[in-house]
Amino acid sequence: MSLSARVTWRSFRVGAGRMILPGLAAFPFGIGFGVAAAQKGLSAFETTLMSFTVMAGTSQMVALDIWAKPLPLVALFVSVFVANLRYFVMGAALQPYLPDLPWYKQPFVWFVTIDQNWALNIEEYRRGKGDLGKFLGGGLSMVCIWSGATLLGHLAAGGVLADPAASLRFGLDFVGISVFVVVAALLFRGKRDLAPWTVAILAALTAKWLLHGNWYIVIGGLAGGLYGAMRDLRQDRVG
Amino acid sequence: MLAACTGPCATFGKIVSADTETLVAILVMALAALAAKGGGFVAMRWLGRHRFVSAWLQNAPGAVLVSAAIVPVVEVRGAFIAGAVAGAIVTRTTRGFTAGLFAGVAAVALARWAGLS
Repeated sequence: MSLSARVTWRSFRVGAGRMILPGLAAFPFGIGFGVAAAQKGLSAFETTLMSFTVMAGTSQMVALDIWAKPLPLVALFVSVFVANLRYFVMGAALQPYLPDLPWYKQPFVWFVTIDQNWALNIEEYRRGKGDLGKFLGGGLSMVCIWSGATLLGHLAAGGVLADPAASLRFGLDFVGISVFVVVAALLFRGKRDLAPWTVAILAALTAKWLLHGNWYIVIGGLAGGLYGAMRDLRQDRVG
Repeated sequence: MLAACTGPCATFGKIVSADTETLVAILVMALAALAAKGGGFVAMRWLGRHRFVSAWLQNAPGAVLVSAAIVPVVEVRGAFIAGAVAGAIVTRTTRGFTAGLFAGVAAVALARWAGLS
């Protein structure tokens, strides 16, 4: 096994400790997700279990958006997968540093591939100072903070936040949508994104109008992504 | 039996309750997230060779997010439009997730206080 794939208790603790602060940054979002999950009828246990096992806030919010009994399992799978496509790229970037990682350890590495944890550790791997223990410890730390925040949000929703009128008054029905808007604003790359995003918006609105279900996220995401990819490749050929 | 519980017992029962359909859905979501994370790790050998896949991966996340946001904003209009605009502007100005999140929600609350739906 390569040096970069070693795990020691000490490095695990160091990794867990240094990701507490970055993990706390997701606390307000976690509270918001807990409130939104309570409004959708999930129990505190179900909400915490979802946060602990999925550990991907935006895609969990996307899932809540289409959460209606009977639960659309295929749409849930596709939505969560597509909303997490950035992790596909992160995983690809990580693999060369862990080429000999045993197969039974790989799912743990995938599980803790979380934005800030990945960013900090890939930088260390690039400098030749990577440590799998730190990566796993940091991920577990962030998972616990995220799950705890959503649990707190859910329990808080049992109080004043459970009142639909109060929820509307405080704008809490907008928390989920606000997450999409804010993350989109962070991802926005300027003029380059205008056309694919316009295609996505038109496709989503058309899908909502024609299909009435909640497939608009998947259809909009696929349409905008495909348009952007075709345009980028065409420009590459011309250039 | 939880159904016969009252008081703290009933509250605890509500907190830990879970139905099979929800648990299956959570499992499906967990597998989807793991597939997205592990997919890149496993497919690394081929990812770089297929330029179309790489180009699509660059464009898809933003397209998913705007698709998820636009329908509820168009459906509710008024307060949600104010929230979306405020959230986007504050996020772009501060480059901060939390500030943008709070600005969006606060703008919706203020818009409703001002009489918008």
